[in-house]
Amino acid sequence: MAEERTVMRTQLPTSAESQNPQLKKALEFPILEKQNWLIHLHYIHKDYEACKAVIKEQLRETQGLCEYALYVQALIFRLEGNIQDSLELFQTCAVLSPQCADNLKQVARSLFLLGKHKAATEVYNEAAKLNQKDWEICHNLGVCYIYLKQFNKARDQLHHALHLNRHDLTYIMLGKIHLLEGNLDKAIEIYKKAVEFSPENTELLTTLGLLYLQLGIYQKAFEYLGNALTYDPTNYKAILAAGSMMQTHGDFDVALTKYRIVACAVPESPPLWNNIGMCFFGKKKYVAAISCLKRANYLAPFDWKILYNLGLVHLTMQQYASAFHFLSAAINFQPKMAELYMLLAVALTNLEDTENAKRAYAEAVHLDKCNPLVNLNYAVLLYNQGQKREALAQYQEMEKKVNLLKDSSSLEFDSEMVEVAQKLGAALHVGEALVWTKPAKDSRSQHRTTSASKAACFQQPLGSNQALGQAMSSAAAYRKLPSGEERPQMKNLSYT
Amino acid sequence: MAAAPSSDTDSGRGESKEASSKWLDAHYDPMANIHTFSSCLALADLHGDGEYKLVVGDLGPSGQQSCLKVLQGPKVLTESPLPALPAAAATFLMDQHEPRTPALALASGPCVYVYKNLRPYFKFSLPHLPLNPLEQDLWNQAKEDRIDPLTLKEMLEGIREKAEVPLSVQSLRFLQLELSEMEAFVNQHKAKTLKRQTVITTMTTLKKNLADEDAVSCLVLGTENKELLVLDPEAFTVLAKMSLPSVPVFLEVSGQFDVEFRLAAACRNGNICILRRDSKGPKYCIELSAQPVGLVRVHKVLVVGSTQDSLHGFTHKGKKLWTVQMPAAILTMNLMEQRARGLQAVMAGLANGEVRIYRDKTLLDVIRTPDAVTSLCFGRYGREDNTLIATTRGGGLMIKILKRTAVFADGGGEVGPPPAQATKLNVPRKTRLYVDQTLREREAGIGPGPGPHLQAHTAPAEHLDSPPHPGAAGLLPVRGGALRPAPGLLQGPLVGARAQLPPGDLCGESQ
Repeated sequence: MAEERTVMRTQLPTSAESQNPQLKKALEFPILEKQNWLIHLHYIHKDYEACKAVIKEQLRETQGLCEYALYVQALIFRLEGNIQDSLELFQTCAVLSPQCADNLKQVARSLFLLGKHKAATEVYNEAAKLNQKDWEICHNLGVCYIYLKQFNKARDQLHHALHLNRHDLTYIMLGKIHLLEGNLDKAIEIYKKAVEFSPENTELLTTLGLLYLQLGIYQKAFEYLGNALTYDPTNYKAILAAGSMMQTHGDFDVALTKYRIVACAVPESPPLWNNIGMCFFGKKKYVAAISCLKRANYLAPFDWKILYNLGLVHLTMQQYASAFHFLSAAINFQPKMAELYMLLAVALTNLEDTENAKRAYAEAVHLDKCNPLVNLNYAVLLYNQGQKREALAQYQEMEKKVNLLKDSSSLEFDSEMVEVAQKLGAALHVGEALVWTKPAKDSRSQHRTTSASKAACFQQPLGSNQALGQAMSSAAAYRKLPSGEERPQMKNLSYT
Repeated sequence: MAAAPSSDTDSGRGESKEASSKWLDAHYDPMANIHTFSSCLALADLHGDGEYKLVVGDLGPSGQQSCLKVLQGPKVLTESPLPALPAAAATFLMDQHEPRTPALALASGPCVYVYKNLRPYFKFSLPHLPLNPLEQDLWNQAKEDRIDPLTLKEMLEGIREKAEVPLSVQSLRFLQLELSEMEAFVNQHKAKTLKRQTVITTMTTLKKNLADEDAVSCLVLGTENKELLVLDPEAFTVLAKMSLPSVPVFLEVSGQFDVEFRLAAACRNGNICILRRDSKGPKYCIELSAQPVGLVRVHKVLVVGSTQDSLHGFTHKGKKLWTVQMPAAILTMNLMEQRARGLQAVMAGLANGEVRIYRDKTLLDVIRTPDAVTSLCFGRYGREDNTLIATTRGGGLMIKILKRTAVFADGGGEVGPPPAQATKLNVPRKTRLYVDQTLREREAGIGPGPGPHLQAHTAPAEHLDSPPHPGAAGLLPVRGGALRPAPGLLQGPLVGARAQLPPGDLCGESQ
């Protein structure tokens, strides 16, 4: 459209230049920000190649003066991992326009990414001088102080940031500080506030659920995890935690369905396969359980829980030698856990090594503080070996623990355990002194109280499995439970 | 019509997909060579003949040869080169004169080019920015040779450090020079007037005083200087000027200028500023934690796409209503308005080749495209209402028409448990050999075997060192010291089952 072109040309302000091409170049400086909008659009479209091309063109034309082009170039360097170059470019930008707080913030962030937290805090403070009410500066200062381990200052800064403008990130960081300091309650408070502010953030909901799980408040934990799952049905952590809770309640099929979702997304996760294995265990599919647990063990050979579970399942399958193997490996990693020694002792008992079994039990009793099952099994063994006095002593220990547990929390005791204990009591002529009146809830809860004090994992592989395992061991003990005459018979049983 | 024959010759599967889809494929040309953004697309009846045309500010394949294209149907009607890259295109009615055909405004660089009937009509240039008086003074002195270059440089640097008003390009260039070049530069440029000019980054239209379809509209420009200007359509004077904390990237307006209007501006620093009439600055500021990729106003809700692959809905006061996560990065967003059914929805083009249509949080429809879509436009095209026009990353042009019978029901998208729930877990299977061995262990495992030592937790290496014992299946003699592990029992005939190995390998060969 020729006419259009001439029309446009005549409307150019400096028409004189069009006649003198040499002067034209010198006279008309291109506007520096000419293609900033294009650079920005390419950047937010994540089209970094096109962006870099435009930046290069602009820098060439403006002889390196276009600040935004340098800025975005530095951002792209950072995204590519080239933090040092990014830092240098940001410093150039800061020189080009010293009043701009943004450039200083980016310099500080680059320093932070390079691990120079102290220098980063200094630059952030400088930026803060230019722009007082910037939540980003306060938030990032807080994060730097976390890395510098100055938790008080970090907390102040983060609170200040929240004051200015509430963001999920700040809440998460504050929660982390409290967790690092070991203050679970305050962390929960912060997360609750965060969830109030942004009820659809699955990360917050999941973290809150897991914290409640750690504290043992299962109702709320399940509520929050359920919420997280409604917003994002494929959330790995939430599914794993919710699944483990379902397992403790015996809903193995539902848990398995849930695990299927995650198994597609994250197929190589040791806790996932551990839990799947224990679901199969709960459904009495022992071979499948072993397969899954072996896979979990292959993925995480140092995880004592998987080894514990492997030991347990092998005990159930009467493969006492393999069970011993796994349990001794688990003890290597977790030498202070009474239940491991107890199961080891059960394996040894079944392997006819009573001497070492007794030593294992002794160790277990020595380490254990609150699980009456340990004492019960020891008592059974001692009784079988004819050491009635020691058996009685252990029985009394068990009574003490049961009473303690009854008083401290409303627990239920495994029915089989109760049966065995009563039989043993009768055999020892102790009488019905011990009252097991609490309504039958599983002894798994007992185990939970001990595990709550440990560093919590959301895996909970021991929930129902523990009860079953204990049932198995007590059943084994039961078979050996004599009433004098049955004793020789008992010996035969063990050979089958 | 490139796509139509292909859909006819498709197999039954393709036809059934067509049948169930709500859209008709009207045209798809992957070689159309149109590279543009949503802000440079506009649909209007430019010639007043009832046939709506598509105006495209094409940036060219490498951002070099920008031109203005007008399309009618699948064909390009006119094509004219532009002096600079178009930042935005909009059509608006300028005045009340007959014929009531809309004018086309194209923002490019610091100017807005207005076309009427596709003929250039007017060019509006942004007013120059005020200069720093000190700088002006210094250059005046230089003009009269009252100052030498070095002092000029020092003074200019001092201004750059502290001043509110930035320096002009000339001074900035000067400060970069070497000592030797300074003299020449000053002589060459001292006679010129200093200028500071900014560019337009975004543009939209705002009705002036009536809310009708064919009422006169003003132009709203966003500049690189962090300002918003409202232009009068008839005289092209600046009616209002508002300032923002950062450079605007996307604009959304509602209301009328003379009565009451609300302006939402998505800025480069990740904030969305909401301004009202007669406010010099933003009234509310929404802080996103990532960059905004698109801004669309649907009824009273501002839908914002962010670079974290999510869509957020905000009230006009800045409160977050909802968030929806996208499976891929959002490239562009635009409004879909179906006047007949009173439907307003947001279209989002994603990087994985989908165009998703959302009404509030609910996904209404998903359109799969062969290439990622970089710009979207919905409206009346030709004589057909409800046409979706999209350009793709590779420069293709796609035109789809919404079927007359198509009804968007809630839940047209994904619903129900995730499909992964149906896939079975792949539990590794155990062979017959394994089962046999477990039986064997059960039978042979018990006996007067050596008691496993209880120092197991301190010396796992011992397990590995004990040699395999060539015993018969079953019971092995007790070893002295009871320091051998029980798994020693499993030696011998159990080929390969070296029990001292880590537990996982007990049945290794059967895997």
